[in-house]
Amino acid sequence: MAAADSCDGISTSGGGWEKTVTLVSSDDARFEVREAAASLSQTVRRMIRAGGDGGIPLPKVDARTLSTVLEYCNKHAAVPAPAPESSSAEAAAVDLEWFDKELMHVDLATLCSLIRAADYLEVAGLLDLTCKTVADMIKSKTAEEIRQMFGIQNDFTPEEEEQLSRENAGVFE
Amino acid sequence: MVPTTRAMRARADASADRLPRDALSDALLRLPAREICRLRAVCRPWRALTSDPAFVRAHAAAHPGPLFVAKFRDDPAHVYVIDAGGTVLKRVAGADGGVHVLRTRLDLACLATDWNRCRVLNPATGALQVLPQSSAPQHKNRVNLSNPYTFFALGLVASTGEYKVFRMFNRLGFLLGGEQLFEVLTINDSSGAADSCWRAMPMPSLFIEASTGGVVGSVVYFFVNRGYNPVTLYSDAGARSDYILSFDLEREEWRSGLAGPIGEEIDSGEDFQSKRYRFALAELKGSLVLVYKRRQKSIFVMDLWFLMDFENGLWEK
Repeated sequence: MAAADSCDGISTSGGGWEKTVTLVSSDDARFEVREAAASLSQTVRRMIRAGGDGGIPLPKVDARTLSTVLEYCNKHAAVPAPAPESSSAEAAAVDLEWFDKELMHVDLATLCSLIRAADYLEVAGLLDLTCKTVADMIKSKTAEEIRQMFGIQNDFTPEEEEQLSRENAGVFE
Repeated sequence: MVPTTRAMRARADASADRLPRDALSDALLRLPAREICRLRAVCRPWRALTSDPAFVRAHAAAHPGPLFVAKFRDDPAHVYVIDAGGTVLKRVAGADGGVHVLRTRLDLACLATDWNRCRVLNPATGALQVLPQSSAPQHKNRVNLSNPYTFFALGLVASTGEYKVFRMFNRLGFLLGGEQLFEVLTINDSSGAADSCWRAMPMPSLFIEASTGGVVGSVVYFFVNRGYNPVTLYSDAGARSDYILSFDLEREEWRSGLAGPIGEEIDSGEDFQSKRYRFALAELKGSLVLVYKRRQKSIFVMDLWFLMDFENGLWEK
């Protein structure tokens, strides 16, 4: 149907044929994505411009992480932003917010992979979302809880720790 | 604590070490200052990150809410850093008794005493820099460092990003012969590295009233001292209680005198002392403000005059 439309020279809104690109993850999984969605990644956008065929290699992102990133891109690129004050725009914004929230229901390891991927792929919206999620997880946790959460070793000497807690006396808790 | 169990090792794999530093700093920048202080105690890399001047600057830009520096009477040994919500973020040790926290809207605060001890505090990191006490070489034999009566001010030179501390030795009194000496010390950036030596500055044409000093950007404003300028008593500067002299910390020179907005309006029935306390200089929204307290019938009112144009002496009430 889309082809028929373009033959007639009439384009129905949103129904046109869309260009796709192929992205290849570090473990050689291939993902076919609409170019509009893939272009949310500045890194991919530059690679598309540079040309080349056989798929765009993304050696720093594994398939599992890439599929989540693309889920995000597909959803966010699909929102065409109609008249800003219409009720459908408002509904779309609420829907998107809900989608983002659901996407962030992951463990910390996955979240860190997503941050690294969003950083490397330069997907600004996703980087913002993941960083905000990490910030929310850190919020109002004690230093020890944060170490536990991130698996960080406490590398302070007992003397330094004592000094830190003196500096922060009355600030903790 | 070395990760021993398999679960702990798995967590370590997902650790923040493997987060790009930029991304971690991006995440931490979203947290309020109160949280950042707590993060200093997590581990060395996090402490290094949150104390990094670049991080501190970025954090200040992302959280424009002001930090207050305060000192409380019942705890003379500490200075407190407080956020706008009244939460104590930090307690910085090492303040002397009798310290003044100088009014400032900058990223650094100045802690000074009348007795020539001055420290510069970075409220965000808690770093405290002790400034040298000895005078500029040119002033060596002219000030008595064991009994100095000093006034300090801190300004920011926007064009270079340098902080400059202004120091004034106020040696007035007929027995002393009456002398006011001025010096400047540059603090290179918010890391707090300061020059090792004060530099002597020129003297203005009139004696100024040290306690009235107010800083706007890189300019320190003073009222003229009315008691020690007999020669000029009949000139414009002498006749007005609201005559202002100012020192430009960027060019390191005194600027031309500025007549205040009140002028001769002041009723002459009031004595010298009370007049002195009816004026104050302050900074508000980036402008110099002259505060004029006066009695209207039986109540006190306060007029705020904003300096709109220095060159033309234009004030707006």
